[in-house]
Amino acid sequence: MTSAARLRNVAIVGFAQLPIVARDEHRMATEMLYPAVRQALADCGVERNAIDYQIAGSTDYMDGRPFGFVAALDVMGSWPARQDLHLEMDAAFCAYYAWVRMQAGECDTALVAAHGKLSEGEPNRVLNLQLDPYYHAAIGLDPASTAALQASAYMARTGATDRDFAEVAARNRAAGARNADAQVRTAATADELQRSPWLVEPLRSAYVPPVGETATCLILAAEGKAEQLCDRPVWIQGVDHRTEMQTLGARDLSRSASTQLAAQRAFTMAGLAGADGIDVAELSAATPAEELILCEALGLDAQAARPVINPSGGPLCGHPIMMTGGIRLGEAFRQLAGRASGHTVAGAKRAVAHGTQGHCLQQNIVWVVGSERRWA
Amino acid sequence: MKRPVAVVGVGQTHHTSRRSDVSIPGLVREAVDRALLDAGLEHKDIDAVVVGKAPDMLEGIAQPEQFLAGALGAHMKPLLRVHTAGSVGASTALTAVTHVASGLYERVLTVAFEKQSEGNAMWALSPNMPFTPPLVAGAGGFFAPYCRAYITKTKCPPHIGPVTAVNARANGARNQYAHLQEPLTVEDVMNSPMLWDPIRFGETCPSSDGAVAMVIASEDKAKHGPRKPAWVKSGYSYAEAMWVPGRDQVSPAAGRICAKAVYDKAGITDPWNQIDTAEIYVPFAWFEAMWLENLGFCDVGEGWKIIDRGEQAFGAHLPINPSGGVLCTNPIGASGMLRLGEAALQVMGRAGAHQVEGAKTALGHAYGGGAQYFAMWIVSSER
Repeated sequence: MTSAARLRNVAIVGFAQLPIVARDEHRMATEMLYPAVRQALADCGVERNAIDYQIAGSTDYMDGRPFGFVAALDVMGSWPARQDLHLEMDAAFCAYYAWVRMQAGECDTALVAAHGKLSEGEPNRVLNLQLDPYYHAAIGLDPASTAALQASAYMARTGATDRDFAEVAARNRAAGARNADAQVRTAATADELQRSPWLVEPLRSAYVPPVGETATCLILAAEGKAEQLCDRPVWIQGVDHRTEMQTLGARDLSRSASTQLAAQRAFTMAGLAGADGIDVAELSAATPAEELILCEALGLDAQAARPVINPSGGPLCGHPIMMTGGIRLGEAFRQLAGRASGHTVAGAKRAVAHGTQGHCLQQNIVWVVGSERRWA
Repeated sequence: MKRPVAVVGVGQTHHTSRRSDVSIPGLVREAVDRALLDAGLEHKDIDAVVVGKAPDMLEGIAQPEQFLAGALGAHMKPLLRVHTAGSVGASTALTAVTHVASGLYERVLTVAFEKQSEGNAMWALSPNMPFTPPLVAGAGGFFAPYCRAYITKTKCPPHIGPVTAVNARANGARNQYAHLQEPLTVEDVMNSPMLWDPIRFGETCPSSDGAVAMVIASEDKAKHGPRKPAWVKSGYSYAEAMWVPGRDQVSPAAGRICAKAVYDKAGITDPWNQIDTAEIYVPFAWFEAMWLENLGFCDVGEGWKIIDRGEQAFGAHLPINPSGGVLCTNPIGASGMLRLGEAALQVMGRAGAHQVEGAKTALGHAYGGGAQYFAMWIVSSER
């Protein structure tokens, strides 16, 4: 495909999530997903039959059972039978495949649901099992320890300090306090955060997210349908995703090469030379070091007035695995559709949303969305 | 589909109960290398990778595509991981088809695998869920009542399961890659232990280690390949809810709807006469009769009669599973893609000793979940 190719205009027209909590003691994962699906449909003013395609994101290991997504079929309204797919991936990647189907002309509307009840298991043990079983998992690495390796590599290359990490975390915490769906809603100063104990040096306990859970639902629609479902559709202008090999020693952990390539391709698709003109960036950065690495890969100036980075508080204020990337896309929609209430970035017209999977930002997706259609 | 899409390469591993000669990346790479060699391509020619497998508990690695990204040749490429229960191999290939059909990608590598010897499938497939009595009986225990319901409903006689199993093994004996290649007699099957009534040991799929890969390409790229491609005429994945009162579990509506969609798109109005061979997902022998009905090859209650008359045997009117199918080879996550890949090989005329003579149109089919997920394609020798 050439960058000049005219693609089909597709928009995000609905997004619903439950507030992220440490543990919802009263509901199973599917009971949490049901209200999210119903809310997203209600916001579009339609019933389930109006949507052509459905795709779900979840992972069996987080569900603690095989085929966890089969139970989600029932609450997604899969009767009569629906055209359907399930990806063992974050919702941000599921939304990508819905977009691909629309480019193929296979559907006009899609529901993208994601669930994961992290409080029922031990996410750190599960994420250890994601690593190379011969050389990495066996030595007990978990997300905090691999993220610490990455943070160290970033500090060594750039000279970033503990104070820099504390300031990134403090900015996210201040933002999270304004987001009603965030799990951590208490602001904290950099001084305070710098006093939190080491989790795995150079990461302090305040530099990683708590375990949290929710359920989410995005609705996508192609031009022609999108305007009927939403008064302010948020148009997909560019998107790309890339992975890297997992082997930690084979990558420059201080950089995110896959994010950089995905961003370059997404910006080109959007007709942009780079990140200039981006008002908001929602990044799936689970540590301050990841945020700094992602900003560099995306060409964002973290010190500038624009873009505003993670006005939702970002993953540091709520990190429901399998949904964190989908929420970034949902937050970009909220900002541009005028639905971000307390954490609105005034006058935002274009946003970047980023999702990731795997240890140390192994696999990354970059979305560029805007209030205007990309293709005439 | 926005533009024509073809299969330009198919590769599979030799399947057996324990491939202790290779690691998981080694197993996957064996299939990938064979598919690329078949297509006359290298990794640099591939734009994206779509991988599928059944529950991660089967090997004990969470989201193993992350670990396998290097072995899959996916470094710095888009990589998607599909999981739709037993149908996953088929829905994975269809996901790759959509990528090419969209015009965004020219050549996509699609891969499915399972290395069941790394874990214990019976344990992994016996979940203990809230408010649901645990069967602790794996997939066989789950599907035995479906088979019993079929027998009761259609008065299917008791020899149909054994006859189906014997035919599958006779076919598997002609497939050099099949896990089980030893022929069986009806008596052998009848005398094998009853595992989950009415399913006997001889009517059950094995637990296999294996992988399969295909290269899916645009028309332009397919025309320049070294081989005659298999053209994808249609492909759909449908799923339906489990807990619906009155849901027909023997002949699920999702399967009928999916079959109708692929036939309509491919211009098939009379599947019994217009399809030359079909690779369908039969993990327990009784399901062959059930799917013949669900797929519209005959009326309800007539599926077992086709088998009784031998019209589904190799060389007969509609050879079913000429590769031996799931009853001979079952690396769970790969089984669905093996069905689609075998269908493609048939219309390419490259199925070797199990080639159905003159096969021009073939169906590939897989199902999963509680008979809720269906994924199928029609492939043809003609564009």
